[in-house]
Amino acid sequence: MAWHYPKLTRRGFMWATGGGLAGLSLLKPLDLVSEAWATVKDKDQNQEEVVHSICNFCSSLCNIKATVVGKGKDRRIVKLDGNPNSTLNRGKMCARGQAGVRQVYDVDRIKTPMIRVEGSKRGEGKFRTATWAEAWSYIESKSKAAKIQPWEWTMVGGWTSCVFYMNWAVPFALSNGVPNIVASPMQHCVASGHLGTDSVTGNFNIHDEVLPDFDNANYILFIANNASIGAVSTSRMVRFATGRKRGARVVALDTRLSETAAKADEWIRIRPGTDLDFLIAVMQVMMEEGWYDADFIRNHTNLPFLVQRAADGQWQLSTDPAGHPLVLDEMSGEVVALPSYSNQNALDVGGRKIKPALTVAENLAVAGKPVMTVFQAQKLEIKDKTPEAASKVTGIPAEVIRRIAEEFSHAGRPIIDPGWHGARYANINMLRRTQAMLQTLVGGIDRKGGWIMAAEYRHKITNWHKAKSEGKAMPGPLMTTMAGVPFVAELIKALSNPDTFPHKHPAWSFVFAAQERAAGREGVAVPALADTGLREAVEGKVMLNGEPYLARAILINAANPVRHYYPDSNWKEIMAHKNMELVVLVDVLPSDTVPYADVILPNPTYLERDEPTLYGNGVNHDLALVTRFRAIDPLYDTLETPDILLKMSQIISGSDENFHKMLEGLSGIPAAATRTAFEKYKAEGVNSPFSRACRDTSFSSTAERIHVSRDKLYTELKEQGIYFEERRDELLHAHSMPRHMAVPTTSGRLEFFGTLFQWLQTMGGKGASFNVLASTMPAQCRENKSMADALEPNEFYFTYGKTPTVSYGSTNSNNPVLAAINRFKKDIYTGIWIHPDRAKVLKIKTGDPIRLTNSRSGQQATGTAYVTAQLHPDSLFLHSSFGVENKALRLSYGIGTATNKLIPNWVEPVVAGFRSQEFTIKIEKI
Amino acid sequence: MTHYAMVIDLATCVGCNACMAACSLENQTPVWADHWRTKVHDREVGDGHGITRRFIPRLCNHCDNPPCMTVCPSGATYKTKEGVVLVEVERCLGCGACAMACPYDARYPATSDDIDTGKEYYGKLQRKSPSMDKCSFCYHRLLKEGEPACVQTCVGYARMFGDLDQPNDPVTQLVRSGKARPLMAHLGTRPNVYYIPER
Amino acid sequence: MDILTFTTQQHWTTWFAVYLFLGGMGAAVVAVSFLTHMYLREEKELVMWGALSGVAMMVVGSGMLFLHLLNKWAIFYIVSPYGVFHKPDSWIAWGSQFIVWIQIAAVLYALPYMVEKPRLLGWPVVGNVLKMPIVLQVAGVAKKIHPILGWVGIVTGIGTAVYTGLLLQSFPAVTLWHNPAVPILFTVSAFSTAMAWLLIVMYTFIYHRVDHSIRALYERIDLGLITAELIIVFSFFNFTLSGSEGGYRSAEMLWGSNGWLFGFVLFGLIVPLAMELKCVFGSWSGKAPIVTASLLVLNGGFQLRAYFMAAGIYAYPW
Ligand SMILES: Nc1nc2c(c(=O)[nH]1)N[C@H]1C(S)=C(S)[C@@H](COP(=O)(O)OP(=O)(O)OC[C@H]3O[C@@H](n4cnc5c(=O)[nH]c(N)nc54)[C@H](O)[C@@H]3O)O[C@H]1N2
Ligand SMILES: Nc1nc2c(c(=O)[nH]1)N[C@H]1C(S)=C(S)[C@@H](COP(=O)(O)OP(=O)(O)OC[C@H]3O[C@@H](n4cnc5c(=O)[nH]c(N)nc54)[C@H](O)[C@@H]3O)O[C@H]1N2
Ligand code: SF4
Ligand code: SF4
Ligand code: SF4
Ligand code: SF4
Ligand code: SF4
Ligand SMILES: [Mo]
Repeated sequence: MAWHYPKLTRRGFMWATGGGLAGLSLLKPLDLVSEAWATVKDKDQNQEEVVHSICNFCSSLCNIKATVVGKGKDRRIVKLDGNPNSTLNRGKMCARGQAGVRQVYDVDRIKTPMIRVEGSKRGEGKFRTATWAEAWSYIESKSKAAKIQPWEWTMVGGWTSCVFYMNWAVPFALSNGVPNIVASPMQHCVASGHLGTDSVTGNFNIHDEVLPDFDNANYILFIANNASIGAVSTSRMVRFATGRKRGARVVALDTRLSETAAKADEWIRIRPGTDLDFLIAVMQVMMEEGWYDADFIRNHTNLPFLVQRAADGQWQLSTDPAGHPLVLDEMSGEVVALPSYSNQNALDVGGRKIKPALTVAENLAVAGKPVMTVFQAQKLEIKDKTPEAASKVTGIPAEVIRRIAEEFSHAGRPIIDPGWHGARYANINMLRRTQAMLQTLVGGIDRKGGWIMAAEYRHKITNWHKAKSEGKAMPGPLMTTMAGVPFVAELIKALSNPDTFPHKHPAWSFVFAAQERAAGREGVAVPALADTGLREAVEGKVMLNGEPYLARAILINAANPVRHYYPDSNWKEIMAHKNMELVVLVDVLPSDTVPYADVILPNPTYLERDEPTLYGNGVNHDLALVTRFRAIDPLYDTLETPDILLKMSQIISGSDENFHKMLEGLSGIPAAATRTAFEKYKAEGVNSPFSRACRDTSFSSTAERIHVSRDKLYTELKEQGIYFEERRDELLHAHSMPRHMAVPTTSGRLEFFGTLFQWLQTMGGKGASFNVLASTMPAQCRENKSMADALEPNEFYFTYGKTPTVSYGSTNSNNPVLAAINRFKKDIYTGIWIHPDRAKVLKIKTGDPIRLTNSRSGQQATGTAYVTAQLHPDSLFLHSSFGVENKALRLSYGIGTATNKLIPNWVEPVVAGFRSQEFTIKIEKI
Repeated sequence: MTHYAMVIDLATCVGCNACMAACSLENQTPVWADHWRTKVHDREVGDGHGITRRFIPRLCNHCDNPPCMTVCPSGATYKTKEGVVLVEVERCLGCGACAMACPYDARYPATSDDIDTGKEYYGKLQRKSPSMDKCSFCYHRLLKEGEPACVQTCVGYARMFGDLDQPNDPVTQLVRSGKARPLMAHLGTRPNVYYIPER
Repeated sequence: MDILTFTTQQHWTTWFAVYLFLGGMGAAVVAVSFLTHMYLREEKELVMWGALSGVAMMVVGSGMLFLHLLNKWAIFYIVSPYGVFHKPDSWIAWGSQFIVWIQIAAVLYALPYMVEKPRLLGWPVVGNVLKMPIVLQVAGVAKKIHPILGWVGIVTGIGTAVYTGLLLQSFPAVTLWHNPAVPILFTVSAFSTAMAWLLIVMYTFIYHRVDHSIRALYERIDLGLITAELIIVFSFFNFTLSGSEGGYRSAEMLWGSNGWLFGFVLFGLIVPLAMELKCVFGSWSGKAPIVTASLLVLNGGFQLRAYFMAAGIYAYPW
């Protein structure tokens, strides 16, 4: 900021203050003397140590090292860096990761258990500090007094809980008869969006399964990507940067000039919600022009499978009486049957070599019914979805769409990134699915310069195939060895089936969905781990066997639903409801959900934790093991998650016996050995003795599994922070999917004909979302209006995205380093982006306060305008990271606008993904 | 001999600010006063359809002809034999002349108030007295880890560090080929930070 | 890369203009009064006023700088004469020496007269100090080396005045400052304001005790200086108009602001010039017009520096 003379003279600036401070600073050297002495005294306190860990600020799971200085109580973490041994993040970390050390020392941390002050209401945020014993006895007496039944509990977890504690959380739920789990990444990204991709590839892992090989790509197409690449997911960014330096051409479809789009050779400023139209047109061109890898799709996809129309006009696979899929063999000219499950189509059921046709004659019939290939059916489905048609709605000239189709299909090693965040529009599943199909058309699946499966995921699938070939259903415990769609299917079965538990209560979300369908409304097909129905359950509106199925208690761990779910009022009201008897919350910082708890249980931060087990290395192409080593002892009176779940088991079930058993059965944690170690550590007064016990047994069992000594495994992890089992190239060589190994779809092939959606139709799915083939699905931002129809002068499409310096709407906006960066970039990060052409009409300038009103729901919020030409004029853009309401987060309280004050509770029918941009916003100056 | 230099590739800088965070923690800078040894600007360039968004990391250029050093009355600002321009904290009056002389806005005051806040903030503070402060090319790290904190963490490999006296160093080659160019060379400061333009 | 930001530094603001103003003027006051005393007429009153008010200005001026130092203890490095040997390329190192030595020279030069001045001897503390034997001894020595002290004062005085401009000139990023006209402008202005100040002193505090011819001479010199300043200022305007965008912005900022146009150019230069012309060659007589003109010159001198600091525009490619 410049100082302007006229202003200065008026304020007489810097005179008084400058002089005053200057005077005081004269005294400083006295301090220096005492400090000098201190330095002499504790020379050996300057000893440095490096400790390895895993970043906890986003699910990119970077491998890190902490530099720790000093001894004993004075040990202090001074710096974090990427672990240079890691092939995942290659020694790098983003700003959030770098600033992680400040979470440990955040003065606003939750330092002891706390109990809501008697007589105060949830939401007022009045708490008294308590001991752990008090906290436990409060929970116990409350749940006894209110007679809370196991199924009346709901567990809520964030990605931290999923990634690090899934192996405890699911056994906890199942052993205690708790069918209800809400996981915050599901309706936002993991289910909504990924499921589309997964329907093609059969994937599905907790937190991402594909890491494209940008290093070796020569053409990269991004669709609504930003935080997942350049702003920042380090493992992807380092690869992207390398690819770009090696000359890859980059094209980004984004409604605004995001960080990632700014690095593209071409930014395609697409109208919000119309990416699907764009990509379907790209697919249309590629199919019409023959711009695909014919050998690959013929051999490894279900595109040559024959389909026919059922009586209701729906497409279905043609099969032989034994249920084998049929294809036309070009060599013999005959229709032949293929094995139902295989990675390829080159051999028929009899083992004869065949060449399946992608296109068959119009008059081909099977059993008297006209048939065509999936390829033809898909082509037919999108016949008139041409670039010309798409150009109207997307606002992108047809030539550009055609050119992108040509560039992409001719590049040689092209990548269309699968995308990460879902939600936004009901069509997101279809969009991600189309992306997977485009990548399949060019044969870019699981090969150099294409999409490459995470090694951990590949490893599980390899073992699963092995087990299947040995006649076993599963290679080992469900939680640790299963992956992909088969794993999800197991989980969905468990939660939706009334017979899972003796009390016959499936999850309320499934009961609610069925109830909705029964009432003729759109029920969600797979509301797994979603919050849909919770409100109704709390209000007593979900009925099971003629009785209200009540939700009366909540256990939240590492989640912040008040800020992360839509709208914010929903969860506030759920937790404040009179039927709600008990809210227990585990966190490290006072999030916006914290004021609604009855009991707050403090977790140690990630740098103060040894984790209870070893983990795979996320999306890394190399197969490796990692874990955390605590950099310093916990600063406060905190407890780790497994210990909390153990205690909660004792409270809910009266005993932890079942929990131990399920841990053994589902997660492979040996009950007897763990219990012995637990008793020992408890007696020794170790903090979080159960976690420590689990870690012990995990190290032993992992060492045994990979055939190394426990000591070697431990030492290597301690010293290197990562233990490599197998490298990418070997893995790809032997186990690339589907070139060498079937993918875990129904057919083992990459699926254009979506059997997953066919299955979901049997679960009640109806409508375009469940189409077995890909097609367009217009976003419905306004009733009965196309996205291309003119907006009113003060009306905009709403778009949002993540900030490079904040995770989600998380508490780390309170991190002092990140908060300082956010202040430095205040307009850009916390302002509401408006295009100058639109702002001019409305007489709005950067810095002007404005009011935003959702024209569908009437929700309102206020904010500050940031006028910039870096976005589509039809849209408003807001970073989804701000709007903290809890004053206890002293640095980020009151900054920016919360997206969830504007987004209504409106979900799509597949997995209850949030339709978080499917409306318009009207703005006015205030 | 060694002559350190940095090359910044604007084509892969994504404006993520990781370098700012890394630097501030490595060097304990007064971020509460918005003072950083390195900043990454985020600027809109052009208008209409030609609009671009440029991320420009900046830091001390460790000039070979540093005006900040010429003006410094106490000799606190000096240049090491490896070409790094440093401030000797104890010798610095904090007169600010160097900050005025620097064409790259690389310097800021670290005041005694900052020292008080910093103690709370960073635990043990490296700094014992106030002075002008600026990027040191992480001189203290160069022997140990070989590269500055900002370079080590840069997720875009946008920051590269090297030795211009080594002809095979990639940084040297980028500089010699003219691909990487200094900022405001006409001022005669002879910077040792070079920029590769966006493509 | 193209320039994206134009800004003014935050380090040296209004307080620094005060330093430049009082430092330059104080030094010039000392130099002028010494020259007058040595070569025109032994006006004791004038030399005391000159030396002491000059010192006072420099104390206040450099006090400004001192107060804004981050680390006051390190001042040692620049006040000891070793400073310039260590940093001969730094104008501040030279300036600091000038300022130190001119103050010493000024006090010593005036001391022989001070110890004789009854009014001063009557003051509390000061009087007692002046009566101390050691002070009397020093005054005696000073008297003996008066010409040397005088020349030290004159050289360091001119040095200080020039230095206030050289200092700004050594900041290469700012077109407005980084050119050889700045030291000339600041030196001329320093002497012009010094004249103005001495005229005020002579017309008010010591009116009857100083010769009219000195006043007349000063008025004429001041006329010359103001004219020179006007020429430099307008050539500056021309210089900044082309050559660099930063310079252009400086020009824009200066010539677009009323303070500069009226406070400095009109009422700091042109009006006093006209008034003094009328006094010297025309019909005006009496104290009021010349004192008023001098006050305007003083104000103009400060405005010049303040505006120069504010309009020192840096251009950055980010
Ligand atoms: N407003 C908004 N909402 C969003 C998003 C957004 O960008 N903006 N993004 C959506 C997406 S894509 C996702 S994946 C989800 C992610 O949602 P979450 O996984 O829930 O996200 P986080 O913010 O990482 O974690 C939530 C809480 O965990 C706490 N926490 C951090 N570390 C620890 C720890 O070590 N132990 C414990 N017990 N708690 C800890 C934080 O303080 C915070 O309150 O959010 C979704 N919702
Ligand atoms: N900084 C940061 N990075 C993170 C995370 C984090 O919390 N913070 N979390 C991680 C997680 S869990 C996730 S899910 C990923 C999310 O990463 P991404 O999926 O990349 O999500 P966003 O950055 O929210 O949004 C991406 C872009 O979509 C654009 N956009 C919005 N609407 C439309 C549209 O209709 N069409 C098109 N073409 N573009 C649109 C936005 O402008 C934005 O630039 O990030 C991961 N990385
Ligand atoms: S991308 Fe950043 S926040 Fe996410 S894990 Fe890596 S370092 Fe941590
Ligand atoms: S960039 Fe500035 S501070 Fe750094 S050496 Fe050059 S002039 Fe000095
Ligand atoms: S602030 Fe310090 S380093 Fe800068 S010129 Fe003054 S004494 Fe030298
Ligand atoms: S080289 Fe070191 S001091 Fe300089 S900006 Fe980078 S991290 Fe900061
Ligand atoms: S870390 Fe690298 S990519 Fe990120 S802002 Fe800094 S220079 Fe740019
Ligand atoms: Mo996410």
